[in-house]
Amino acid sequence: MDHGGPAPPEPVTYLCGDCGADNTLKPGDVIQCRECGYRILYKKRTRRIVQFEAR
Amino acid sequence: MGKAKMNAARMGSGGPEVVAPEQLLDLMGPHIDSFDYFVNRGLQSAVQNMQSVEVVHPVSNVNLRMWLDKPVVNRPMKDQKDGALSLDQRLLPTECRMGGLSYRGSLTADLCLQYASGNVVRNSMSFGRMPIMVKSSLCHLRGLDGRKMVANKEEAMEMGGYFICNGIERIIRLLIIPKRNLVVGVKRATFKNRGSAYSDKAVMIRCVKHDQSAVTLRMYYLNTGGSNLGFSLRKQEFLIPVGLIIKALVDTSDREIYEQLISVQSGYDKSTKGVVGSQFVSQRARIILEDVQRLNLFTRIQCLQYIGERFKHLLDVPASYSSAKVGEKVLEDYILVNLDNPRDKFNMLIFMLHKLFALADGLASPDNADALQHHEILLPGHLLTIFVKERMQEWLYRVKALLVKEIEDKPAFNLQDSTQVQKILEKVPASDVSKKVEYLLNTGNLVTQSGLDLQQSTGFTLVAEKLNFLRYISHFRSVHRGAFFATLRTTLVRKLLPESWGFMCPVHTPDGSPCGLLNHLTAACLISTDLDARGLVRQPLKIRKAVTSELVSVGMLPSVLSMARVAPPDFLTVHLDGRIIGHMRTLDIPPAVAHLRHCKVAKIADIPSDLEVAYVPCTSAGAYPGLFLFSTPGRMLRPVKCLSPQDKGALELIGPYEQAYMEIKCPDGTDGGTTGISSYATHEETHALAMLSVVASLTPWSDHNQSPRNMYQCQMGKQTMGTPCQALQFRADNKLYRIQSPQTPVARTENWAKFNVDQFPTGTNAIVAVLAYTGYDMEDAMILNKSAVERGMFHGQIYKTETIDLTRMRRKGDGIVNVFARSDAAGGPKRGAPPVQNSNFVDTDGLPYIGQTLVENNPYCSVLNTVTGNAKMSKLKGGDRAVVDFVAAVGTGPKEPMQKVSIRMRYGRNPVIGDKFSSRHGQKGVLSQQWPDIDMPFSAVTGMRPDLIINPHAFPSRMTIGMLLESMAAKVGILKGEFINATPFQKCAADSKSSHKNKDESLVDKYGKQLKEYGFNYHGTEVMYSGVLGTELTCEIYIGCVYYQRLRHMVGDKYQVRSTGAVNPVTRQPVKGRKFGGGIRFGEMERDSLLAHGAAYLLHDRLHTCSDYHTADICVRCGSLLSTTPVIQQKSSAAFAMGLGSSKESKVICRVCNSSRDIELVAMPYVFRYLASELAAMNIKLTLTIGNG
Repeated sequence: MDHGGPAPPEPVTYLCGDCGADNTLKPGDVIQCRECGYRILYKKRTRRIVQFEAR
Repeated sequence: MGKAKMNAARMGSGGPEVVAPEQLLDLMGPHIDSFDYFVNRGLQSAVQNMQSVEVVHPVSNVNLRMWLDKPVVNRPMKDQKDGALSLDQRLLPTECRMGGLSYRGSLTADLCLQYASGNVVRNSMSFGRMPIMVKSSLCHLRGLDGRKMVANKEEAMEMGGYFICNGIERIIRLLIIPKRNLVVGVKRATFKNRGSAYSDKAVMIRCVKHDQSAVTLRMYYLNTGGSNLGFSLRKQEFLIPVGLIIKALVDTSDREIYEQLISVQSGYDKSTKGVVGSQFVSQRARIILEDVQRLNLFTRIQCLQYIGERFKHLLDVPASYSSAKVGEKVLEDYILVNLDNPRDKFNMLIFMLHKLFALADGLASPDNADALQHHEILLPGHLLTIFVKERMQEWLYRVKALLVKEIEDKPAFNLQDSTQVQKILEKVPASDVSKKVEYLLNTGNLVTQSGLDLQQSTGFTLVAEKLNFLRYISHFRSVHRGAFFATLRTTLVRKLLPESWGFMCPVHTPDGSPCGLLNHLTAACLISTDLDARGLVRQPLKIRKAVTSELVSVGMLPSVLSMARVAPPDFLTVHLDGRIIGHMRTLDIPPAVAHLRHCKVAKIADIPSDLEVAYVPCTSAGAYPGLFLFSTPGRMLRPVKCLSPQDKGALELIGPYEQAYMEIKCPDGTDGGTTGISSYATHEETHALAMLSVVASLTPWSDHNQSPRNMYQCQMGKQTMGTPCQALQFRADNKLYRIQSPQTPVARTENWAKFNVDQFPTGTNAIVAVLAYTGYDMEDAMILNKSAVERGMFHGQIYKTETIDLTRMRRKGDGIVNVFARSDAAGGPKRGAPPVQNSNFVDTDGLPYIGQTLVENNPYCSVLNTVTGNAKMSKLKGGDRAVVDFVAAVGTGPKEPMQKVSIRMRYGRNPVIGDKFSSRHGQKGVLSQQWPDIDMPFSAVTGMRPDLIINPHAFPSRMTIGMLLESMAAKVGILKGEFINATPFQKCAADSKSSHKNKDESLVDKYGKQLKEYGFNYHGTEVMYSGVLGTELTCEIYIGCVYYQRLRHMVGDKYQVRSTGAVNPVTRQPVKGRKFGGGIRFGEMERDSLLAHGAAYLLHDRLHTCSDYHTADICVRCGSLLSTTPVIQQKSSAAFAMGLGSSKESKVICRVCNSSRDIELVAMPYVFRYLASELAAMNIKLTLTIGNG
C-alpha cells in the first residue's frame, strides 16, 4: 500500500460489457473495448482485502 | 384466436428454456401491436392523409407543390461516430439502460417536390431518431428465444412494450376515450352556455379516420326546434346550422330532406316499444330547412360557397382554391371524417337528427358517457401516429411559410432552383419531429395546436418501475380515465358500473385520489388491432362488403336503395363503423345477429372474429334502437363461451358495447344468477375469475375475503420487495428493491403458474401463529422469530445507482476540464496541495473499489478539475452503510476519456423493528419485536416455534377468511408436499378440472379432514406452551403457514430525528424535511391539545425555547423594536490598565430617540422581529408597550 512519492498512477483494469475482455486503461484513455469496440466497461472487483463483518 | 400466431412471432422458436408464456405476452399486446401499427402502417397512412403545401411565386408564377411520402423507421443503430470501431452496429436495449441512452431508430421520409405538373423530384429527408418500443417489430429483441435473450443481457422472459428514454423505461399510458364512430346522446347543462337558444341536449360522435386522427362532431338541439353542428378547429368550436351542412353534402331537394327526417314519424302510439318520432318532428324538419332558406341559400354550390367563405382564412388551403372548394374541404376534414362518401354522411346526419329529436322528446334516453359501453382505448401507437402526423404537417407548413417569406424578402430568390429551395429546407430542422416525440415520452406532455381531439395535454406517459413483477405488469394493464376527470368534484365518473364487467377489474383500483379513475384491465381483456385473426391487415372495404352481403342474405335492405318510411319500430338501421349500411325489419334482426355471431366464430367469409355485434332492441324510451356493428381497432375485447347449438363451447370475442345487450351466464355453481331467465342465455363466462386483473387473481381465496381487503392486497402486492428482475447485474435503475431468499407460495391460484410469477417471487412462506403473546402484537404489530430472521428470512437489499456525467458540466468552447482522478493524479499533487487522503476509498482512477464498504461521509468518487487542480469528492449521504456493487464506465464519444460513470451501491436491509409486512389478504402489520426463539411459544406435539405471531384481533372486523383458509390449507400442503390450488370461485367452475370434487363440502372440512389424517387438529389449532413460562397456554392456538410479503416501506428510509439542527435563515425556525435533518411540525392541533392539558411549560418549551427563541432590545420610549442598535464603545484606558474585563463594551442605543436609556431586553420569537421588519417595509410602524406584568 505504501507507494512513497508521486508514482505514475497505476492502470486500472476494466471488463468489457459485451465480450468480457480485460481492458487496462490509463487516465485519459478512451472508454472503448479494444476487442469489440463496446463502449460500456465495468470496473473489476478490487483485489484488496475487503473485510467482511460477520455479525 | 389469432393472437397465438402473433405471439409465436413475438416469442420466436420456443425451446426448453424459460420464455414468457403466451398469456404474459398478451398482456403487453396492446402496446406492442399498436406500435407495430404505427411504424408499419400508421405512419404511411398518416403521410398519405397529410395536406400537401403549395407555394406560388408571385412574379414568375412558378408553382411548387410539396408533400411527404414513404416514411420509414429504421432499427436502432449505434451512432456513426460511435459505432465506427465496434463489431456490432446494433444498438441494444441493455446498452441504452446502462449508458443512459435512448433506444431509437432513424425516421426518414421522401420529400416530394413538383413544379406545376412536371416531374416529381424526391428528396430523402431525415426526421431525426424516433424512439422504438422494446420487442416491437423494429426491436432487435423481437423473436429471440429465452437463451438468446439472456445472451443479450435481457430477462429470459422480457416482454417489452416500453420505450427507453435516457436509460429510463417509460410507457405510454392507456387512456379511455369515447368509442369511435358511435352516436352518443348526452344531456349536459354546460351546452346551454353556448347561447340562449341552446338546450342541454346533444348527440355526439367521435369520428376517426383510417390514420387514427379524430374529429368529434356534436349536434346540439336548439330550443327553437332547430339544430346546430359543432366541431373544433384549433381548439375553438365552430357552430353551423345542420341544414346548411346537409344541403352542402349532396345535391338534394328540400323535399327529400323533409321526407327523410319525418320518416321516423310512425302511426304508432307513443307508448309502443321502439317509437322514436313524435308529432313534432315534421315541424322541426321545417325549421331546419327554413334556417337555410333564411340565409338565401338554395343550391348545394351556394351552401358550399357560404361555408367556404367563412373558413377560407382559417384553413391552410392554397389561395387558388375557390370558395366552394374550401367548403368541400371543410366537409371532408371536419364533418363525419370516418366516412368518405357524401351520401353516407348525409344518411348519418339524418340518423343523428332522428336520435337527437328522440332525445329531445324523451323517446330515447340519454346514454351514460361514463359507462365503459361507450368507451374505447387510446393506444400508444395510435397516439404516436396522430402526433407524428401533426408534427410532420407542421414542418411542411413551416417550410412553406419560410419559402413565402424568402420570396417576399428577396426578389432574386428563384423558386425553380432546387438548391436554393434546399437551403431553405435546411433552415427548418426536420429532426424536430422526433425530438418532439421524445419530449412527449420524457415528460408526458403533449404539445399540439389542434389538441388532436384529446381531452388532456399532460400525463401521457409513466415510468415502468421495476419494483416487483406485479407492479411492473400493472403499469402495462392500467387504464386511466383521463386527467380531466381527476379534477372533477363529482365522484360519478369513479363509480364502478356494471358495464365494466369482464373488461375492468372491480378490485384492482387504488384507494385515495385516483380511485376509480385508474383502473386495470382484466387478465383476459384484449384490445382489437388493425390485424385480423391471421395477422393480416384488415381491409375495411372487404369487411364492409362481407358484412353487407351476409346481412342482405338474411333480410337487410341495403342503404343504396334510398327509401323513405323505413324507420323504427318496424325497421331499424344497421350501422357498421359509423356508416349506415342498410335497414332491417325488426323481427329479422335477432336471427341475423345469431347468424353474424356464427360467422364470427366459424370465420366465415371475411367476417372479422372480433366484430362487435350490438343489437339495441326497441324499448319504451330506452337507448335508441338499431343494429350497431364495429370492426375498428382500439376496442376492448374478451372471450366468452358460445352456447348456441352450432358453436357450442367455442370462444367468441365480445366488446363492451354489445355486452350490455347480451345474455351471458356466469357459472356460480347454481343457476348463474339468472333465476328463470337462464334459458335465454346465449353465452357463458369462461370462468368467474375472468373478471379479475392479473394482480387481483393472484390473491388466494379472494372470494372468502371482504372486498376492500382484496383491494388493499392489490395495492400492497405492488409495494412488495420481491424479485424485480433476473438480469439484475445489467440494470442501472435509480432504485431497486430485492429480497434475498424469496419462495413460491404453497397456496396459490391457477394464474400464478399461468403468468409464470414463480420467476419473480415476492414473499416467504411463514409459520404464523395467531395469538396475543407478549403484548408486542397489539394494534397490527407483529412479532418475528429472531432466529428465523437470523437464518435469512425476509433479508433484502436496496440498490441505488448514481450516474455522474461530466459532459453536463462542460461549457461550450471549453475542452475536457473535469476528469475522474484522484487529486494526486498527473504527476503528483500540486505544490502546497494537501496530501492525498481518502485513498482508502477512492482508487487511482477516481472511482471507488468494488466491494468496498462505505459509511456516511466516506468519499467514493473524485472528479479532478485539470485547470484548477481541485478535486471534488462525492461523499456517501445518509446514515446507512453501503457496499459498492458495480462501477460502469460509459463511453461518451470517440477520443474522449472517461466522462460518465454509473456507480451502484448496495444497502443491506434486513428486517428491523418498524418494517412493514403483509399477508396476501390486506393484513398489513409492523414488526414490533424480534423475539428470541427460546421464548417463542412452542407446539406441544411438534415442538415447532412460529416464525411470526399476529394478534387475533386482526380478524373479526376485517373478515379475511381467505387468510385463515390459506393458513390451514398451506399447512396441509406442507405436510403433503403439494401445492394447494387456492383459486377463488372454484365451486363455480363448471368443469371438473378444479380440485374441488365434493361440491357441498366446505374448504374447512376438506382441509380439516386432511389435517386430521396427518395427526393434527381438525381445525388447524394446536396445543402450545409458553416459551417464557413453560406452561401450557389455556386455549389452543391457530397455527399454520401463510405467504408473507415484505413491503418496501422501511424505517431505515423513513425515520426522522432532531434535537437541534438546521434552521430557516429568515425565521430561524427549524426547517422541515427528513433530508435536511429537519423536524416534524408541531401544529395547531398539537398546540390545542397541550393547551387543553394546561401544559404551559411544555408548550413554551416546544414552541419557543426549541424553536426561534430570541432576545431583542426594545426602546421603551418609542416602542420600537427595529431602531435599536448596539454600539461599540471604547472603555477608558484607566479601566483597561486595571485589567477590568475587555477593552470594549457594547451599549445599545435607539437611533430614533438617540439615547441609550430605557432600553429593555425582551424575549420573543424571532419571527416577530421578521414581522416587524416586513411591516416596516410597507410603512406600518409596530409599537411595543413595555410594562411589568
